[in-house]
Amino acid sequence: MELKINGKIQNVDVEEGMPLLWVLRDELNMTGTKYGCGVSSCGSCTVMLDGVATRTCTLPAVAAEGKEITTIEGIGADGKMSEIQQAWVEHQVPQCGYCQSGMIVAAEALLNEIPNPTDEEINTKITNICRCGTYNRIRAAIHTAAKMRTEKSDLLG
Amino acid sequence: MGKWTRRAFIGTGGLIGVGLVVGIGGNIYLNKNAKKYSGKGMGDGNSMNAWIRISPDNKITIAVPRSEMGQGVYTSVPMLVAEELEVDMKDIKIMQPQPEPAYANTLLVNPNPRDIYSSLTFMEKIAHFLPLVATGGSTTITDGFDHLRAAGASARVMLTREAASRWSVSEADCYAENSHIINRKTKEKFTYGELAEGAGEIELAEIPKLKDKKDWKILGKNVQRLDIPEKVNGTAEFGLDVRLDGMLFAAIRHATYHDGVVTAIANQPEIEKMPGVKKVLILPKGVGAVVVANNTWRAKNAALALDFEETGNNTLSSENINRLAEDVIANELIATPLDKGNATDVLDKAEKVIEGKYDVPYLAHACMEPINCTVLVKEGKAEIWAGHQGTSIMLDGVNASTGIDKENITVNMKYLGGGFGRRAEVDMILHAGFVAKEMEGTPVQLVYTREEAMRHEMYRPFVKSHFRAVVNANGDIEAWENKMALQSVGYSSLMRIKPAFAEPPAKDPSTIEGAANLPYTMVNAKVAFGQLDLPIQVGNWRSVGSSQNAFFTESFMDELAHSVGQDPYEFRKSKIQHEPRFLKVLEKAAEISNWKTPLAEGRFRGIAIHESFRSIVCQVVEITKVDEKKFSVDKYYNVIDCGRVVNPDTVEAQMQSGIMYGLSAALYGQITFKDGEVEQYNFPQYEVVRMNVAPTVQVHIMDNDEFPGGVGEPATPPAAPALGNAIFAATGERIRSLPLMKHGYTFV
Repeated sequence: MELKINGKIQNVDVEEGMPLLWVLRDELNMTGTKYGCGVSSCGSCTVMLDGVATRTCTLPAVAAEGKEITTIEGIGADGKMSEIQQAWVEHQVPQCGYCQSGMIVAAEALLNEIPNPTDEEINTKITNICRCGTYNRIRAAIHTAAKMRTEKSDLLG
Repeated sequence: MGKWTRRAFIGTGGLIGVGLVVGIGGNIYLNKNAKKYSGKGMGDGNSMNAWIRISPDNKITIAVPRSEMGQGVYTSVPMLVAEELEVDMKDIKIMQPQPEPAYANTLLVNPNPRDIYSSLTFMEKIAHFLPLVATGGSTTITDGFDHLRAAGASARVMLTREAASRWSVSEADCYAENSHIINRKTKEKFTYGELAEGAGEIELAEIPKLKDKKDWKILGKNVQRLDIPEKVNGTAEFGLDVRLDGMLFAAIRHATYHDGVVTAIANQPEIEKMPGVKKVLILPKGVGAVVVANNTWRAKNAALALDFEETGNNTLSSENINRLAEDVIANELIATPLDKGNATDVLDKAEKVIEGKYDVPYLAHACMEPINCTVLVKEGKAEIWAGHQGTSIMLDGVNASTGIDKENITVNMKYLGGGFGRRAEVDMILHAGFVAKEMEGTPVQLVYTREEAMRHEMYRPFVKSHFRAVVNANGDIEAWENKMALQSVGYSSLMRIKPAFAEPPAKDPSTIEGAANLPYTMVNAKVAFGQLDLPIQVGNWRSVGSSQNAFFTESFMDELAHSVGQDPYEFRKSKIQHEPRFLKVLEKAAEISNWKTPLAEGRFRGIAIHESFRSIVCQVVEITKVDEKKFSVDKYYNVIDCGRVVNPDTVEAQMQSGIMYGLSAALYGQITFKDGEVEQYNFPQYEVVRMNVAPTVQVHIMDNDEFPGGVGEPATPPAAPALGNAIFAATGERIRSLPLMKHGYTFV
């Protein structure tokens, strides 16, 4: 099958049922996207499909054919961190860091959909698990990133 | 992790031969010729000692022989060295060394941090001899606080002496600043890189004086963590991210029952024909089987399809375990670690006795990164890659499972996607080593699926605690009795990791940590416990004994306060007047939470204070009643006294983290058994706190000059009792059994 990942076409030859997560991790060695639960509960495996946050551990890779797949490797990949990544550093969000790829991708998708989310919207949209409990800082970093993005678009506008 | 004590060695006959440990002394901080230090893997440059290597282009490499599992040691350890070495954090690179004696964590076996100016104690020498290089028990900073600064200071003096000699001036005419030695008079400079070769040959006679806190430039300041940039762009490599040429993936399936044995695989030929499958192996002692394939998903599917012929106890149930615990408390107590005065007598004669029967369930660690380990066995050598809590445990495990000499084993430490005690275990290493040996020449990554990781792990034990107390009209605790029943964590875990250290359950100090060392004034007090003999593995779960004992004791203290109509804060305060550090922490928590100001209608609060891992934490939690049994956990106020602080931002982060971990257990956490099997196997059955439930956390760090305590664990113990006490304030229902979920409570 043919997958478009972070703007690049990748051809893979796997059985139809293989979830996108394992195509990324084991066939393409793109290990930034993490395995956490395998049942679409924890969100560690989140990527964007056409800009929408999607859990990939139960999603057959064939279902992603023809879509723009954006993984953590595709965020801030032009050598400059995205606003969300900058805010994540500013607030020193990650602890063990394992869930943070999924958190960051989910946050990117959230800000694309809702540029300036309320706490309530963050609660509803960010349902990923962080066992280190970095939630306070994630929330603060999303607000900071939202502000940075708004200021940037004002500047460009 | 539990404390390993000297008693472990009495009766182990001849384990430590006389003379074997002689020669490993205080000089290990002073120069690069320390015994048993090779600096293997430290890269180019000149070693000053076991921790510091300086290259000619003035790049500083610092060895961090501790595991980074989110608690920030890849930053705080270099901070300690950099402060005395006079280098900027931005000029530092870190590396994880092979387990060598210099890197032993002596605090795991010794009650006090080592005195760098004296020779090592007997147990410290043992820790070096083994060597015991591991991360746990919130020990890294307390263990390394003096000796890492000494390593930095020693290197600085060696560099200064070399410069002084080259300029033919006295050492006093030189000073160190920003990786340079500067001549006070001429203002000439040498870089450390220019001096390192000669400086490395200098032998110091004694450890230089360390800086006072007031002179610190790096310590005590918020320093950005060195590991964060690679944790926001997906490049940080966890154990599960290891990818090697020709690597295969293996999935484990354990025997169904916890004492079960797999004797055969009925459908082995069919499994071997499944897509990508290379090998099917029954593990030693039949504890399970492994399928090796060319992709994790294929390996996992094949492992799921295995048809086991197996034995095992299929009658074990949480009900049986509960009954057994009742029986043990009534009839089979094996130790009385605290027996002050005559509590039983006072209780038996008292008119009014307050009783509270508490229990907590088994808990899974549920590390975000499922358990895994990668091993390669090739041409008489082995190499291991894993995120693990101990390079020495990794080394021991590969040695035991492959039979390859330790000199021929290379350890590669990766980031840990959570540790919490689970990654101090050796099971994943033994299994991966066995598979790698069978697959000689091919690197194999062994993976536990979430389901396997949750149903077959080393749980925080189920614990029962029965209290009786007498409180007089003044509120004095005349008698306090606590009878417990549980499985010994120390015995269970050490029999797996280091059997020579395992003491019988009656002597396990982790059982009573936070139960027998309470700060409160009590006239008569008795703490006794019994052991549950069950085929379930129990292990160190973030804050270990304190994880249950704080819930029991701080909830029961609340009961006592209400029994005499006293405010829970005032009641505690009156009983810690002789403990100034406790008193200050308690008062500060009341102050920042405005304890004395009533909350708005529908809002309630609870308080708990607990000492663990050499730090004292007091928490006040505020909750809002949304509906009858529906609550929002709004905010935790958290005050910690952890002595001198290395990186305040990390302390704050660990307080937030410890609370969320304790809160997850308080609200939802339970591992239960039915028909011999664990009923929970993934997050939908083992829910944890997510963003929508997470309270805000406000942290206050006490400012004092005490020796540093731990911060990774101490915020977990008070989280549950503070919440239970708040629920009581809101509903009048005393929560004596966790989790809250099973009493019909929901949280938003």
